[in-house]
Amino acid sequence: MKSISGIFLFTTLSLFAQRSEDLVPRQAVTVFTLNNINLLQQISLDDLVQYEFMEELQQELFDGSTSGKTIKDSGIDFDQKLNVFNGKGEKYTVNGFTFGIANKDQLFETFDDFTPVESPYSGVELYVSYFNRIAIKGDNGILFRIAPTMRLVDEITDSIWYARGNDYPWYNEDFQELFNQVETQDENVSPDMETGENTVNPENNYLPVADEDPDQKTYYELRDSVDFALQESFIRSFSKELFEEGKNLLSISPEFKQQLTHSSEAILFSDNSRRIETDDEFWYMRSLYPTLFYDVKELYEDNMILGDLRLSPGNVGFHIDMQYSEELGSIYSEMTRSKFDKHIVKYLPKDASAFFTYNIDMLRAYRETYNILVPILEKSDDMNVASDLMIMELLDILLDESAVFGAYKGSMFGTYSDIKKIKTKKIIFDFNEETFEYTEQELEAEEDMPLFTVGFTTDRTDLIERILKRMTKLNMEMTRKDDFWIIENAILNAAPVYLILKNDLLLLTNDSDFAENYSNGYPSNMIEKSVIKEAKKSGALYGRIDLDDAIAKLPKELFSERENNVIDVVRGKNGIVEITSSKTTPTGTSFDLNYSYEADMNDSGRYILDLINSIYVISK
Amino acid sequence: MKTKLVLYLITLLFGLSSCIEIIDDLTLNPDGSGTFKYNINLSSSKVKVNSILALDSLDGKKVPSIEEIQERIDKIAKELRMQQGITQVVVDANYTDFILKLSFDFTSLEALQNGVKAVIKMESGDKPLNQIDYNWVSFENNVLKRSIPQLNFKQSKQLDEADRELLKTGSYTAITRFSKEISEYSNELAMLSKNKRAVLLRTDPYSLMQNPNLLDNTIQLIP
Repeated sequence: MKSISGIFLFTTLSLFAQRSEDLVPRQAVTVFTLNNINLLQQISLDDLVQYEFMEELQQELFDGSTSGKTIKDSGIDFDQKLNVFNGKGEKYTVNGFTFGIANKDQLFETFDDFTPVESPYSGVELYVSYFNRIAIKGDNGILFRIAPTMRLVDEITDSIWYARGNDYPWYNEDFQELFNQVETQDENVSPDMETGENTVNPENNYLPVADEDPDQKTYYELRDSVDFALQESFIRSFSKELFEEGKNLLSISPEFKQQLTHSSEAILFSDNSRRIETDDEFWYMRSLYPTLFYDVKELYEDNMILGDLRLSPGNVGFHIDMQYSEELGSIYSEMTRSKFDKHIVKYLPKDASAFFTYNIDMLRAYRETYNILVPILEKSDDMNVASDLMIMELLDILLDESAVFGAYKGSMFGTYSDIKKIKTKKIIFDFNEETFEYTEQELEAEEDMPLFTVGFTTDRTDLIERILKRMTKLNMEMTRKDDFWIIENAILNAAPVYLILKNDLLLLTNDSDFAENYSNGYPSNMIEKSVIKEAKKSGALYGRIDLDDAIAKLPKELFSERENNVIDVVRGKNGIVEITSSKTTPTGTSFDLNYSYEADMNDSGRYILDLINSIYVISK
Repeated sequence: MKTKLVLYLITLLFGLSSCIEIIDDLTLNPDGSGTFKYNINLSSSKVKVNSILALDSLDGKKVPSIEEIQERIDKIAKELRMQQGITQVVVDANYTDFILKLSFDFTSLEALQNGVKAVIKMESGDKPLNQIDYNWVSFENNVLKRSIPQLNFKQSKQLDEADRELLKTGSYTAITRFSKEISEYSNELAMLSKNKRAVLLRTDPYSLMQNPNLLDNTIQLIP
């Protein structure tokens, strides 16, 4: 009997024991959960904080107090999951991570900037640092930071600022100069007449300085106070929900709960349906057309990205399921009902460092989008929306769909070969030895340039040829040579681009050798049949990167910081990265990224981190 | 030239450039007046410069747009025009080949240096400048002394290894011209023009950053 009670008690305790994932707040929109954090034990904390997804740690660890330590010295429990999350609501953003605690003393040797504060929540210990807070409940902790959104802080600050009778806050010398110019130009306006310029409290056209009047805050001081007060208020409501009411992500998201049951090394959860509510790209629509936004939002319902990262010797696999609402899914599935264009195969050379194929049907996508969008727009009473709808319907009737989407079908491919020297011009100063006077001379020069070729499938070469012919008259830099067109200085104002119209493809390249000698492809140097088979078998997207020197040599300057963060995952490594997609159904598409490398498992932790960081940057 | 314009552009353009050519060209008349020209040539790296200008930021630092650079240069030219003893300020900026030429006349070396210092002060804002009271050029009894202020080069230590290597591929040329013939000069690296009225010193920007005294020169004229 005792043993049965013991088993019952153990089972009960196991079932109801607090886990690190219980502290993931409901506000989290994106969560990375590392199931197998043992892999990270060998990585030094100094290395770990270099990753952007560990930015919350950075504030704590960059003070040098943890130099030389690894994550295993940090008091974190490696038998528990590590959940890195971020979320953005209308009023504030929250970022942080949750973790299990094995040794609290060690933990606070790492997080040595934190001091304990009195906790109003039963069973919860609170610690604060300048930027972040740590809450400990049982053997689990959450490190989090809450920041009110700039828009809210600005709105409230402006409101208080103007209510106190203050002037436009951004007065400075430039503004004053502009202000004076306007006043001088507008001499006909008498000072008694009210204009836009002179209604802004001309008595106090300077920022009040605290030194002069300690009771009067400057705009920036007021803004800081508003920011601080809001932050405190949001921290209280956030903590009450999470620690007192037990409202966490698990309680509102069955998808997150389901993901946590996976045994993969790491999982990704990203709720796009909630992201749309706060995404800046939709701010305009949210503010001006709230009803329309509400209807469009329905399209994004159930829109989720769920991912699993799996590890085996010499291979990292990342599987992503993208889930959509039926309407959005129907657009995507129509769009991807397209046959693989056999013409592109011969343009994929065996020695290409990287290539991708993208296989879609824009005509089908357009028709489905039109059929779904029109009923949504019809519901709106807004005049602007009605006007847009009228134009949309007229264009649909008047335009020749088959010509537009025959010229641009949507399918395309791209290849990257190598870095090559390209010819450019440079100016040098030529010195006269008699006087050291100098004159400018134009000379041939060479600069490094990565060579790319991109091809678009088309059924209307006649239409494109007509456009290109006309463009040579419109653009002085564009000329026809043999069977291709050249646009001089098209790339970075220094290198030419070649346009070729062959084999039902519009080809764009900066590789003069391709334009002159291989515009019909590489029939004798085509990529292996097995790879072609994989590309054909894949859904809309297939990509393959051979991580050789050419990738490492890709100049950072050609890409944005965000793109570089993604490319960095493959820089300095070897192996093959392959990206495939499934056939799209009305409810979702799956993508797989497989990275095969020649390395032992000691490197796996670092490879995973590189990959996670890229995914974090993309999904942020 | 010893201005914050140099500091600003060098900091910006060295970061961008794999090959930069700078010419610092001083012409001095017998009455102490003269002309100063400063040329920056990045045409052999225009692909790279264009690619960087297309970005919002690089290595966490904001990349200025052409308009912002133009605005900054215009502001410097405007400041120079306001200085006593500085006239004929001309800026010729070629944003196709990335060649910037600045020239102006001065009534005396004091006016030249005051003009330069005014621009440095304007560009530095509230930052303290140790060398702002130091004179870099003097001319007395037919002897001209030139040096390069260390002010410009303190930032060299902030450059990473790759940037340092790139700086070694550029060139910095300092020319000093007179209407009279030159009898001797102190810097062994200097070259005398065939007409003996100009001295040229050339090094690479990296060496100059390492040793700002590299282009120091004392030039004696034939009375």
